[in-house]
Amino acid sequence: MADREINPFATQATWFPRFEKGVFWIFRLATYAVLLSGFAVFGTIVVKGAGTVFTTRAPFLNVAFLTQAPETLYVFEYDGAKHELGAKDYRAFRETEEAKAKAAGKPAPKFESVESIVYSSGGIFPAIVGTILLVVGSMAIALVLGVASAIYLSEYAKNGPVVRFIRLAIINLAGVPSIVFGLFGYGMFVIFLGWNVSLLAGWFTLAFMVLPVVITASEEALRAVPRGFRDASLALGSTKWQTIRKAVLPYALPGVLTSSILGVARVAGETAPIMFTAAYVVRDRLPWQVSQVSDFFFQGVMALPYHIYVVSSKIPQNVYTERVQYGAAFVFLMLVAAIATGSILLRNRLRGRYQW
Amino acid sequence: MESTAPSTAEASFVITKARTRVFGLSWDEVIQFFFAGNAAVAVVVLALITIFLFREGADFFRLNSSQNLAVYREAGLEYVDIVRDQEKDHAALNRYLADVRLQALKYYRKQGLTYPEAAAKLAAFDDYAGRYSDAIEPIRSKISDWSDFVTAIKTKFGVRADQLAEREQLLAAGKTAEAAKVKIDVVDARKELQPVLDDRASYQEAAQQAAQQLTALARQLPEAPTPELQKRLQRFAELTRQYVATFPATEKKLETWDATKPIPFYVSVTSFLFGREWLTASFWQDWYGILPLLVGSLMVSAVALVLAVPLGVGAAVYVNQIARPFEQRWIKPVIEFISAFPSVVLGFFGIAVLGEALRKLSQVPWLSGLPGFPIAERLNALTAGCLLGLIAIPTIFTLAEDALNNVPRSFREASYALGASRLQTIVKITIPASLSGIISAVLLGFGRVIGETMVVLLCAGNRIAIPDFSAGLGAFVQPVHTMTGIIAQEMGEVVRGSIHYRALFMVGIVLFFLSLLINYAAQKIVRRYRISGG
Repeated sequence: MADREINPFATQATWFPRFEKGVFWIFRLATYAVLLSGFAVFGTIVVKGAGTVFTTRAPFLNVAFLTQAPETLYVFEYDGAKHELGAKDYRAFRETEEAKAKAAGKPAPKFESVESIVYSSGGIFPAIVGTILLVVGSMAIALVLGVASAIYLSEYAKNGPVVRFIRLAIINLAGVPSIVFGLFGYGMFVIFLGWNVSLLAGWFTLAFMVLPVVITASEEALRAVPRGFRDASLALGSTKWQTIRKAVLPYALPGVLTSSILGVARVAGETAPIMFTAAYVVRDRLPWQVSQVSDFFFQGVMALPYHIYVVSSKIPQNVYTERVQYGAAFVFLMLVAAIATGSILLRNRLRGRYQW
Repeated sequence: MESTAPSTAEASFVITKARTRVFGLSWDEVIQFFFAGNAAVAVVVLALITIFLFREGADFFRLNSSQNLAVYREAGLEYVDIVRDQEKDHAALNRYLADVRLQALKYYRKQGLTYPEAAAKLAAFDDYAGRYSDAIEPIRSKISDWSDFVTAIKTKFGVRADQLAEREQLLAAGKTAEAAKVKIDVVDARKELQPVLDDRASYQEAAQQAAQQLTALARQLPEAPTPELQKRLQRFAELTRQYVATFPATEKKLETWDATKPIPFYVSVTSFLFGREWLTASFWQDWYGILPLLVGSLMVSAVALVLAVPLGVGAAVYVNQIARPFEQRWIKPVIEFISAFPSVVLGFFGIAVLGEALRKLSQVPWLSGLPGFPIAERLNALTAGCLLGLIAIPTIFTLAEDALNNVPRSFREASYALGASRLQTIVKITIPASLSGIISAVLLGFGRVIGETMVVLLCAGNRIAIPDFSAGLGAFVQPVHTMTGIIAQEMGEVVRGSIHYRALFMVGIVLFFLSLLINYAAQKIVRRYRISGG
């Protein structure tokens, strides 16, 4: 009461500020719940997967896992001890032990309770190579098509029904489920064009899928170049194309590339489109081991996301398979995370670089 | 003016420039057309997707009605299924009885009786249940006799189809002489099926016998310990009488059933769109009904959206309106980073960690009151839905945050000037002003979720059946299969060009148009209800 006499406009103590604070806390908790679940997934994969990829001894990196092809794992008991060996080592071990026993004149040694688990030994090298090939090829196609498309939309096109239709198509293309792209790629490239399961089919399928992302990103970057640049160039008598080439593209290119890296992350992360178009469950030869150059494009490859799908659904979950499952997931997550972080950081840096 | 100028104006001042012309176009125009052509790629791709999905899938309806369903009828499988339905209804009544027994047993156990004692008390009941179950035995034996018979006819049709396919292949390869040599069996289904049709009299006899027994059993109900259960038994007798009353209708159906009646085309369409069964490579009859898959997809999406909408929109409101600049700067990139998680890694996380964790959680005693808890299956709609929620959150967050950002500053300032608090401004001004954007964000999140493949393939449990909705919300912890999952799972195994193969493409078409529809709705909402900043 005394307060009011001094200052009649003073806020009255009510329940409302406390209520408001409470509501804000609910929003805050929702946000942090999202972040926490993201960290939980990331953390689990990192903690469990790091054990496969890194070692405690020099060179601190499990080189074999990153440079070898997948092998079948053999788990068996021998001489009372439990052994875990890859297919090649197992055969060699068996032969030497049998030879030893023969030399010593003893009966053939017994390998007890032999259990074989596919893909659980060796490494994931072919899958890493395949993923890189798929990403590079499809992004090359997508960038050419996407940047050219964006140049038309931002530099040439006048707003009319045709352009509106194109924009509508782009937006709708962005919403098409990836598995539908897979079916389409299978129907068109694999069957109709007769490319079979091949790199080329995978490239085009992935490129078409990521096209909307690249177009939108490129257009944004092109539009960020100030009008004055174009006007000045045109006023000096250069043609439209000269203007675009000399006065617009150089300034837009960094933006185009960084934003498109997000598209790379999407391409690398997708499994469904390559399941029927480019990916093999397992392949002995590496992509460059082909007899003709043209064979290179028409071969299927192993891919990391598909390999993760195979090892997490087709083999049982136990201590022997955990190594390769978490290891592959870890490597893949790191790959995609590196790409994504790179793009986000680069974009933030570039934002401040050109001041118009 | 242009035509007269050149001849006289050879003066030094004129700028002359050689113009390259390609097909009558200047170089600049060629370049423009090149870019325009590239821009059209998006339209072309969309058209190609439509064309190729239909190219592979459109034949499904024709093949399904002319082969799959036609054989179903001609070989008499449909005829046997009429009787089989009758048996299934009886099985449902049996389950009703078993449920009553379970309740009675629970009651006795509560009374403090030991298990054997309770079982002894229920001996009469069990005897009754046994007699009730056996009452339909004559019909059952008829079904089994007929089944063997009609599957034999169906096999003949299968052989014939293979022979036709072989001839077709030879003809396509240009080997006409060899194609002519391929023997095509003639299947006279009518004649072959006649014994079964003639057997109707003996079925009638069996049905009469069963009806008599059932009516008799409905009159002599067993004892139930509580009045409530007694009431349920009364209801059971009533149901039995109703069931027996359907017998003449079944007989009528059998009588009027005609193997030669052609299958209309629309049946193929309706059996796909409204079929409740997706059954492939079955010895009896293949069904391609999209309903279980659609229901599965929708259930998983529902779980995902229930989680993602409050969290995603809440986070967007927090980051845009409430958070300090420092928080804003790091929360946004982190959520963007979550959107880069590959779905197959999330799926693996579901299999390896989340499924088991949820089951463990569901076994905690004080949570057992929740519907469906404890969870029976590790991989189910809930597991997949939780992970899909994580996928949808960044999408919803980013778009909703954009929408909130687009609300003109003046709106908020006007609200503050009128003395509203921050919360009042957010709830009454900012959110309503950006509602269209938020709704379209949710729709696009829905589109993202329903099209997601790997997570549902790995974590949804992959059981092709419509969940039992009598369990209420508990249906959400049952395993389901989804439209995207079935394509990914079965596409690798089917024979190219078979009905099954085309059915998968049909599912793809449904998915494609569903996603277009969702996208269209999202845009429409944004356009329609956009608030101008003026």
